[in-house]
Amino acid sequence: MIKVSQLLKTVPTADGDLDILGGIELEIEAGMSAAIVGASGSGKSTLLGLLAGMDTATAGQIWLDGECLSDLDEDQRARLRAEKIGFVFQSFQLLPALTAKENVMLPLELAGIAGPGPIAERFLTEVGLESRLEHYPTTLSGGEQQRVAIARAFAREPRVLFADEPTGNLDTRTGERVINLLFELNARTSTTLVLVTHDERLAQRCDRRFAMTAGALCAL
Amino acid sequence: MSSSLSLTGKLLVREWRSGELGILLLALVLAVSVVVGVSSFVSRLQAALLSESARFLAADMVLVSRTPMPEVWSAKAEEMGLRITLGMGFPSMAVADADHMALVSIKAVSDGYPLRGELQWSSEPYGTILPGGVIPRAGEAWLAPRLFALLGIELGDPVFVGEAELTVSGAIRAEPDATTAVFGFGPRLLMNTDDIPLTGVIQPGSRIEYRLLLGGSAEAIEAFSEWVTPELGQGQRLDSVAGSQPRIGDTLDRAKGFLLLAGSLAVVLAAAAITLASRRFGERHTQYVAILKSLGAESGYIAGLYGSSLVYMGLFGAAVGCCLGWVLQEAFIQVLGDLLPVQPGAAGWQPAFIGVVTAMVCLVFFAWPPLRRLGAASPLRVLRADIGVAEAQRPLDFVLGGLAIIGLMWWYSGSALITAAVAVGLMIVIALGFSVARLLLSGSKTVGGFAGSVWRVALAGLQRRGRASALQMVIFAMAIMLMLLLSVVRSSLISQWQAQLPPDAPNHFLLNLAPEERQSLQDFFALNHIPSEVMYPMTRGRVFSVNDEPLPQWEQVEAEDAPRQREANFTWSDELPPGNALLDGRWWSADDESSWVSVEEDFAKAIGASVGDRLALRIGADSFEVVVGSIRQVDWQSMRPNFFMVFPRHVLERYPGMYMTSFRLPQGQKPLLNELVKVLPTVTIIELDIVIREMRSVVDQVARALELVLLVILLAGGLVLISGVRSSLDTRLRESALMRALGARRGLVLGALWVEFLVLGGLAGALASVGAEVAAWALQTQVFEMSWTPTPVMWWLGPVAGAMIVGALGVWSSRRVVSVPPVVLLREV
Repeated sequence: MIKVSQLLKTVPTADGDLDILGGIELEIEAGMSAAIVGASGSGKSTLLGLLAGMDTATAGQIWLDGECLSDLDEDQRARLRAEKIGFVFQSFQLLPALTAKENVMLPLELAGIAGPGPIAERFLTEVGLESRLEHYPTTLSGGEQQRVAIARAFAREPRVLFADEPTGNLDTRTGERVINLLFELNARTSTTLVLVTHDERLAQRCDRRFAMTAGALCAL
Repeated sequence: MSSSLSLTGKLLVREWRSGELGILLLALVLAVSVVVGVSSFVSRLQAALLSESARFLAADMVLVSRTPMPEVWSAKAEEMGLRITLGMGFPSMAVADADHMALVSIKAVSDGYPLRGELQWSSEPYGTILPGGVIPRAGEAWLAPRLFALLGIELGDPVFVGEAELTVSGAIRAEPDATTAVFGFGPRLLMNTDDIPLTGVIQPGSRIEYRLLLGGSAEAIEAFSEWVTPELGQGQRLDSVAGSQPRIGDTLDRAKGFLLLAGSLAVVLAAAAITLASRRFGERHTQYVAILKSLGAESGYIAGLYGSSLVYMGLFGAAVGCCLGWVLQEAFIQVLGDLLPVQPGAAGWQPAFIGVVTAMVCLVFFAWPPLRRLGAASPLRVLRADIGVAEAQRPLDFVLGGLAIIGLMWWYSGSALITAAVAVGLMIVIALGFSVARLLLSGSKTVGGFAGSVWRVALAGLQRRGRASALQMVIFAMAIMLMLLLSVVRSSLISQWQAQLPPDAPNHFLLNLAPEERQSLQDFFALNHIPSEVMYPMTRGRVFSVNDEPLPQWEQVEAEDAPRQREANFTWSDELPPGNALLDGRWWSADDESSWVSVEEDFAKAIGASVGDRLALRIGADSFEVVVGSIRQVDWQSMRPNFFMVFPRHVLERYPGMYMTSFRLPQGQKPLLNELVKVLPTVTIIELDIVIREMRSVVDQVARALELVLLVILLAGGLVLISGVRSSLDTRLRESALMRALGARRGLVLGALWVEFLVLGGLAGALASVGAEVAAWALQTQVFEMSWTPTPVMWWLGPVAGAMIVGALGVWSSRRVVSVPPVVLLREV
């Protein structure tokens, strides 16, 4: 499902080029869950951005569901995300102008799927927010917002789901509930899950675990 | 695409609530409404001006002929839908009895006269003005007031014109075409054309001017003009509105120039407000776009989303702007209602078209670049909020926008001079602004280093946001400059108009005063406490050759501007008359024995003469030669006696001549005119008080219209200042909230904000004063043809008002920083 080979990411700085990621090798099979753990600044989020096609690598290759990301331009990568990728972010990233239901409908509309309304309602019901369909993000609690984000991520039935510190902005109990929900939906839909976290307990629930240290990745 | 449209709608509604879209939309609506309002009003004013000019012709067009006109002309005019009325004019003797007779200027009119304007009359000399709409009936005559005394007759007495006996039934007080229909210099006798055959004055060789007055739509007038022009023979001409020059035309013309200038400034201000609002709109939407892109939105979708937002907004803004523009021009019309003699015609669709184009230019060149740039926002921002926002506008955007706005101003004002003056002023402000900003803001760190903590925080903040602060300062300076500029031009226009019509300006002219009557006149003035003015000697003469080249007679010349013989009033003076300016040559000294003449510039053009040329002149039967010593410019609006040709005293003194003067007579002393014509029965008095009253009312009402426009422009300027303040609001709020979170006192945070905005506003105001002074100089000297004087008040008003307004607006906009807990702010921004 995901294959990474000799991935290199360098950024220019005042003191010369800085390697953020160096020679990353990674392979995650379809339907599996994988956790990438590491300290802040170790390069986890950079790797996630590259895997999701939101950034371009300095060198190396990434294949996602058989497609080589470096062969795609920005719009093609966006289309790939619309068709195959779901996201759950640490800071939820809901559009404040839209209601909970509209936020969930948005990726469905972007992918051109007919009847997005009932699908969004079904997924919001699955995450326990059937009574909050018409609420705007600012009127929802942090846990509720993250559940909307999970519903949005799964509604599209993506092949791969990337989650960036999904419990980072939540208290322990709420985080626990959100994670249970995430794994439950993941199991039911056979989605490939890639999780970036520094929460060891969360990482333990994944099929595979990788540690990121100073831009280098190693399997645990 | 449907999802894009529904999201667009939701975004627009949401943004409307947040207020950002409100400013963008308000700026757009303001630009469109001011442009539509001003251009509609100017179109209608133009129509009113034409009517006003038509008033001075008593018609929309007049056919003048020295021979009876073919009847087919009248028939053709009526067939083309024009209203017509026939008139005649000639000098003749009016006889009351064997002892009382006078040379008069007779005007015969027929039903329908005047087609434009109003004939004012009274039942007794200098009595109350009676309602218009009537003319002397057949068998009746109305006389100029002084003729009553001159002929020793009263109302109801008979008066003879040729062989016709007419009954005096009224006094003429004002004719609309008095200045354009002059039939000799005698006092006026108005009669009905039906009585002309009875007079028996129409003989071969008699000096009669036939006038066919025409009134109707501009199209019909134009069509008839095209038809009749090839038919005109010698001694026949067509007088149109364009040829007549009403005194108030100049005032209204300048007012029109001012309005167009104001409209252009509104466009610039609105464009600035739109740029700032759109820039902030774009910055706030970077995160939106990152989320959309992370969810798979392609760049086309993003462009469609924001492009359609602009289209919706453009349509809405243009529609609302057009409606408000209509309301605005109605307000102008209401303010000027009494001034406009006829209901001005509809403005047509042209102003709405101009408004829609303005909206499009503003959106495409100023609102779109920051939004277009959104497509390039990185989706990575959803993972890393620290990824910077791309610069909303690039130098090329500003250059293209600047060119677009200059093009729009030019098209809109129709004046390259107005456009150039404003553009140069703005460029000075921009160039100076960025240099000064760089210099001062880089130096502010040093100042901040040893200043009190409020200053240190404020100046360090300004420097930290150096580039944004410089842009903000330049925008503030531009807005303040345009507001100052308009205020200065308005004040100088109004004061110039008022200076032309001082309350003690002479309001009567007195002509045909014999040299031996001068003492009687002075005695009369002294007895009745009327201040006397200079008495000018006056002799009628003719120029018949220039440098021995005979000039053709008037009738022999076809081309309108070809040199020809001219008859004019000559005077002598050893000093340059007041209100005159030498354009070429020099003035003679009192002991100079040479035969000089000083010629008015237009008259010199009409006879084809310049300094050094020899002119052959004729006064009565005497011919003599003079050399053009100078060319003069004369202020014809000055209400003083003015002359085409002025000679040294020794050249003209030997010719018999009459004197003329002017004097001021208050309304209450009007009956004294009857006394005066009894004392000096041969003099001619021209009553200017009615014209002056009319001009004064025009000036007053135009001034009110200008106030209204100024108010709108100040509103536009205020909007720019608010947009400018808001453009850096998020950064300031975040920094101030952080300072408060770290324990800064409320006073320190507020004080620093005050200092920041006071410094920005004060510097902007100082720069604005420079730009405004330069632009005011260019406009006053080149566009409004006025003299320029520096405006010292602007030099302190600019910085002080700039500091106060920007300071107050800035602190008011940022007030949440001290009224809302820092944690809430940090979460929001």
